[in-house]
Amino acid sequence: MNYTISARSAVFAVGTALMTAFAAAAFAQDVPAGYPAGYADVIAAAKEEGTVSVYTSTDAAQSQKLQDAFTKKYGIKIAYNDLGTNGAYNQVISEAAAGQTTADVVWSSAMDLQMTLVQEGYAAEYASPETGHLPAWANYKNMLFGTTVEPVGVIYNTKALSEDKLPKTYADMIAFLKDNKAELQGKVATFDPEKSGSGFLHHSNDARNRSDFWDLAKAMGEDGAKIYSSSGGMKETVVSGENVIAINIIGSYALDWVKESPNLGVHFASDYTPAFSRLALITRDAPHPNAAKLFVDFMLSAEGQSLLAEGGLPSVRDDVTAGLNIKTLNERVGGGLKPIAVDEGVLEYMEPTKRVQFLNDWKAALGR
Amino acid sequence: MSTHTQAPAALVLAKAAAEKKYPARMPRHGNASLYRRVVIGLLTIAVLAPVGLIVYQSFLTAAFFSPRAQFGLDAYKYVFTDRNFYKALGTTAIFSFGMVAIAVPLGGLLAFLITRTDIRGRRLLEILVLVPMFISSIVLAFGYTVSVGPTGFVSLFVRGILGFVPWNIYSLPGMILIAGLSHVPHVYLYVSSAMRNLPSDLEEAARTTGASIWQVSRDVTLPMVLPALIFAAALNILLGFETFGIPLVLGDPNGIMVLTTYIYKLTTLFGTPTYQLMAVVAVVLILITLPLVWMQRKLLRNARKYAAMGGKGARVATLKLGGSGQAIALSIIGFWLFVSVALPIGGIAVRAFVDAWGEGVNLLDHLTFANFDRMLEVPSLVRGIVNTVLLSVVGGAVAVGIYLIVGLAGHRNWGLSNTVLDYIVLLPRALPGLVIGLAFFWVFLFVPLLTPLRPTLVSLFIAYVVVGLSYGLRLLQGTLIQVAPELEESARTTGATIGRTWKDVVIPIVRPGLAGAWALIMIIFLREYATGVYLMGAGTEVIGSLMVSLLQTGAMNTIAALSLISIVLTGAGLALALRLGAKIHD
Repeated sequence: MNYTISARSAVFAVGTALMTAFAAAAFAQDVPAGYPAGYADVIAAAKEEGTVSVYTSTDAAQSQKLQDAFTKKYGIKIAYNDLGTNGAYNQVISEAAAGQTTADVVWSSAMDLQMTLVQEGYAAEYASPETGHLPAWANYKNMLFGTTVEPVGVIYNTKALSEDKLPKTYADMIAFLKDNKAELQGKVATFDPEKSGSGFLHHSNDARNRSDFWDLAKAMGEDGAKIYSSSGGMKETVVSGENVIAINIIGSYALDWVKESPNLGVHFASDYTPAFSRLALITRDAPHPNAAKLFVDFMLSAEGQSLLAEGGLPSVRDDVTAGLNIKTLNERVGGGLKPIAVDEGVLEYMEPTKRVQFLNDWKAALGR
Repeated sequence: MSTHTQAPAALVLAKAAAEKKYPARMPRHGNASLYRRVVIGLLTIAVLAPVGLIVYQSFLTAAFFSPRAQFGLDAYKYVFTDRNFYKALGTTAIFSFGMVAIAVPLGGLLAFLITRTDIRGRRLLEILVLVPMFISSIVLAFGYTVSVGPTGFVSLFVRGILGFVPWNIYSLPGMILIAGLSHVPHVYLYVSSAMRNLPSDLEEAARTTGASIWQVSRDVTLPMVLPALIFAAALNILLGFETFGIPLVLGDPNGIMVLTTYIYKLTTLFGTPTYQLMAVVAVVLILITLPLVWMQRKLLRNARKYAAMGGKGARVATLKLGGSGQAIALSIIGFWLFVSVALPIGGIAVRAFVDAWGEGVNLLDHLTFANFDRMLEVPSLVRGIVNTVLLSVVGGAVAVGIYLIVGLAGHRNWGLSNTVLDYIVLLPRALPGLVIGLAFFWVFLFVPLLTPLRPTLVSLFIAYVVVGLSYGLRLLQGTLIQVAPELEESARTTGATIGRTWKDVVIPIVRPGLAGAWALIMIIFLREYATGVYLMGAGTEVIGSLMVSLLQTGAMNTIAALSLISIVLTGAGLALALRLGAKIHD
């Protein structure tokens, strides 16, 4: 009897030892190359937390691969809240005011709202080990990180227009809209900056960088441009032929759409293609701070960036080969890629009087 | 389907008749007045918490939870000096009245044809005419763009024949027409229940003296159901003020703005949401509602003189339409159904199974199941479907229980608490779902005991119950009032308490009606979309609100697939309602 027991315990002891060794090895494997040694503790703590809550404006379908890979790798569940840009902002500030913060990571394409959250103290500082791989413009004080680079472009109906007829530069576009009033009347679509945060960002960024933006706006107005609150909505009308061209839409979506949509072409001005970035931050009172760090690091890592790029969101890192990265994207759009820097500049039009002035000018230009 | 037959107008008649028999001098004691007050009080809290929060927010200078918030009228000043507000208000008024001008005559006509004449296929028609009411307006508008939009498949077909498209749905008249046609069932519901209760001797007398069927309807039936018609008109004006989906999808691209889309714009206009401005517009909407409720109550009181015509008019002889009459009547109904049901649902169905449509696109080349395949790959969307079914089926059943409790509290109750009830019920209806959903989100966030409920479906359920109150309660009240007062009286005279009377007399009698009500509330919960936008989170997604959030990125393939699923679920609910309702009929 004794013998059996001791044999059993011996086997048990060896088993335990082996398991511990495996576990340690697993931990060691988890710490990505180039990360600090102490990172194993972050992983362990994150696993302990077990879940990470993400408030985002990115449709789940676009980031599903990223989510699945993260959960598979670390066994940490993602509570994915697709709330839209305003919904995400609203929930974060409301929850913080109620002392009920649920969001760990806020990941939104509204660069201005994200920067507002940072300025108002809702974000935590975190020096992600991945920041070294990011362009300098994509990291704001270790609080706000650019995760994608998404060009702003034009889609058009290929039955109505051909690529060679399309204007090459920004200035050409203004002339094109003016010269083709008859054919384009009521068939030009663009973002509504009043209803869409993305639309506001695209237009106001142009206004900041291009002195001729208002000429473009007036030219669109003369063509009786219609305004929409989403890129997808505009795509629907361009494919169906209701509109001929849509200006200032999210070009990275369009690059995917043209692969399967008939009648649809995508086009970028060779001299000027602004690009926005989906920004991620960790909330100051994140209930799962370690899981949040892990998720942000994963999102910025070569692996996470590849998965995002495969889902149609081009990578900010130039060492990512899946899909498009900032370098190959620049080539694709004709060399004029101008990413919007993640800095206080995006707040310029958050100032109410300036914003109202911009919108009034916009409506006047559009003749509304 | 007779659960809905006793909507307010008829209720008025029955109530008025009952009031004569059962006057206010009925002994106060033993009339469960404590129960009534507690229930109505609790309901008042549930409704006034979000509504009060909105009113409070409107008098602040920033979000109510912000340290910068101060009392002030700045928000009112901004809204009342904003040119766009008046523009939106004006458009909303034109939209609402235009909608009523279409919906009321058509709804009245349908009610007359179906309740007072021998039209063929009446059983089926009774259900079919309600269908437009059960499709959420966002799905409806989306469906129309695919079928009759500038490059919709019907438009292209017509253009092939005529050389041009004779309509434009992206215009105010287009929106009015679509909204008007889709609100016909709301009118039908109220008017038909009033008509069912009318004795037919007067109409018969008119017929025998040689009046034509149209003369009869105009000179005899119409005056008798006038209160119901006026009430339906008032209710539809209210619904017109609150409509969101149709102006959002059809009005937006051309800058046609109504109050609800104006509110929506206020969320982004200043970069960060300006809750105080949204609240002011919501208060304006509440202020518009109050006189409507007052008018409704006044109408109901005056209705007694119409009811005096005959108390026991159960026997309804139908007017004979004749061969050509049948043909005309059926083709009117058929055309209306084609426009308001077949066109939008057809549009959705087509869009769900293609990835592209429009000019120069052969739909057959683009047939695909990919929209559904891709949807099933995303767990949150699948969860959304499961949650929606759960909320409507289980939540709907619980909601019927709650509405029954409230209904009993208001049953044969003529006190002050009933006045309160009348106002409370319509308040949530006046507010856009988006705003009331946001208010509920805050209530669940800031009221300490409620916070654990926020990440659960319970928070959505409570918001749904409050939003569905006006419809659900009317449904239940209609069923309750069908119980003949004599039965309750006899129970009471033999010594039963009022609780016992309800338990052993009233509830057993209305039980079949409850099943029908359950199915209808289920459908109402299915189609709800705006209320959940702020309340839903990971794990508590619902189809309608997912569609709103997907609309922001414009994922039309997914939206189409979700829309079709929601329509199929609604169809299933309707079939169930029919089965359950059919029992009540016989």
